[in-house]
Amino acid sequence: MSEIANEAIVVENLRKVYSSNGVEAVKNVSFSVHYGEIFGFLGPNGAGKSTTIKTIIGLLRPTDGKIYLDGVDVLKHPNRVRMVKGYSSQESSLDDRLTAYENIFLQGKFFHLSNEKIEKRSKEVLEMFGLWERRKDLIESYSGGMMKRLDIAEALIHRPKILFLDEPTLGLDIQTRHSIWNYIKKLREEHGMTIFLTTHYLEEADELCDRVGIIDNGKILALDKPGVLKSQIGGDLITMTFGNEKEKVNAFLEKLKTVKDVKSVNALDNNVYSLVAEKNGDQLIPKVFSVAEKEGISIESIRLKRPTLDDVYLTYTGKTIREAEGSREEAAQQRVTMRRIRR
Amino acid sequence: MKYLLEDTYYVALRELKKYFRQKTRLLMTLIQPFIWLTLMGNMMTGLTNNPIAANFLGTGNYLTFMTPGIILMTIMFTSIFSGMSIVWDRRIGYLDKLLAAPINRAAIPFGKMLSAAIQGVIQAGIIVVIAVILGVRFQTGILGILVIFIIAMMVAFILGGISLALAAKIKTIETLMAIVNMLTMPLMFASNALFPTNVMPSWLKAIVKINPITYAINPMRSLTVTGWSSSIIANILIIFAIDILVMLWTNWVFVNAVSE
Ligand SMILES: Nc1ncnc2c1ncn2[C@@H]1O[C@H](COP(=O)(O)OP(=O)(O)O)[C@@H](O)[C@H]1O
Ligand SMILES: [Mg+2]
Repeated sequence: MSEIANEAIVVENLRKVYSSNGVEAVKNVSFSVHYGEIFGFLGPNGAGKSTTIKTIIGLLRPTDGKIYLDGVDVLKHPNRVRMVKGYSSQESSLDDRLTAYENIFLQGKFFHLSNEKIEKRSKEVLEMFGLWERRKDLIESYSGGMMKRLDIAEALIHRPKILFLDEPTLGLDIQTRHSIWNYIKKLREEHGMTIFLTTHYLEEADELCDRVGIIDNGKILALDKPGVLKSQIGGDLITMTFGNEKEKVNAFLEKLKTVKDVKSVNALDNNVYSLVAEKNGDQLIPKVFSVAEKEGISIESIRLKRPTLDDVYLTYTGKTIREAEGSREEAAQQRVTMRRIRR
Repeated sequence: MKYLLEDTYYVALRELKKYFRQKTRLLMTLIQPFIWLTLMGNMMTGLTNNPIAANFLGTGNYLTFMTPGIILMTIMFTSIFSGMSIVWDRRIGYLDKLLAAPINRAAIPFGKMLSAAIQGVIQAGIIVVIAVILGVRFQTGILGILVIFIIAMMVAFILGGISLALAAKIKTIETLMAIVNMLTMPLMFASNALFPTNVMPSWLKAIVKINPITYAINPMRSLTVTGWSSSIIANILIIFAIDILVMLWTNWVFVNAVSE
């Protein structure tokens, strides 16, 4: 009970079977999201990310399970959480024949805000997302990145405590993606907002999320801080070469093994040696240098390789996330193009 | 319930803003009835020169006979496509955004129907002006024209509703277009919109009787050609009843279609 009251989102044994085709999109999923946290679901197309979000925010009825938002049982009291949650869907859900301001004004009206409130707040959020100058332009003239920014800005008009972002950077180029990340970070830093996002970009989960759930086939396969997930499958790897004869090096390696946070030391081919760090490989490098100095070892080269979420993903799902994704990117891009040529 | 009217208003406002922004479409709603009226009017004057035909039509001026038909036809061909906006809203995610907001869900179909009704009145207004310029005189004057506008609105509301109900179920624009096109033709030609019932074969007369469009044409034609009569009220009441039924039905279909 206390857990429910102290968490922004609590999901217990959530199951969703679509009645239209009998697909079990979400299979007995449980997790919770802390207040002020950026929490992410990482998974490929069809993993059940959108279905989970839509069920939590009330667009879909769960087949089974419990959902609490801000301590409220949403299935029992849907009306109490209406103003608590903001949602920006995977599609860019803007009316492209209206201006940005008209779009956000209507959104405000659909949340039953007064004209004064809408005027004040839309200025606030449009300025925050760098769109105030372009507010009178039709969405038709907006780029994909601007549309996404407006989408997120709209979702904030009623000042929700918890923001749901379904694939906020789908189909955007790298620079645009980085700029969206900065806006999302700003929301948390300046407004302490709780954010639940889904993504199939590993970099995005890594860069943004405090905790990540890896989801595939409607199940959470792993859930933790990105760093922990990475260290679980093996810590940071330091590879080195030396300018000394073998005996001296071996003695040095024995010494290295006693250093804190060193998990193991191994000889690879071609006189390359590797060191697996328990954690914080970057902080181990200076220690390696100081031991080397004492032992009279000259380090010729040293490199740090950290495992990526890619490696994590591969470990848990048995496939790389990119394998399934090519066609998806294209589809997203096609949708954007379709909007443009529709006229 | 509290917000139903307000929500309906803003859903309609969105549609209307877009309607007025589309200059070419607005121009078309002007040009199309103009072409119909001048072309059909010219073609048919030969017919009305024949006193027997004129007797059937109830007026010596085919344009006068035709004007209500043109009004309804124009309204029909616009409002029956209302459903397209739902299909599109669903595809771009706007529908989900609406459904995620705390609005009254019934406001979504009702707002779109209201927008169709208002567009209907605007079109009726344009056609009336053109008709008057071309020499049509409305028997019941300004008041009668106002009643014609009300009927126009009610018909657009019905057809908008039917279209939205179909669209809530059908998820592709192509299929919807096909069905809607299949629907409009018989609604139009199996009515007395373009030709008087008297000259029709009996099987067609039977269909005309159950066609809701007929109940809009009848009072409109009385108001235009013959003058006030009690049957006007009766017909309007029938149309009104259909309006209510369509409203309930469309809302029911819509709410069912969006809850998964
Ligand atoms: N509206 C729907 N009706 C039926 N099945 C659906 C619907 N939406 C999604 N699905 C199915 O549910 C599964 C999960 O989809 P989704 O939640 O969209 O995944 P993701 O967002 O991770 O790509 C997929 O197999 C998909 O085909
Ligand atoms: Mg999705």
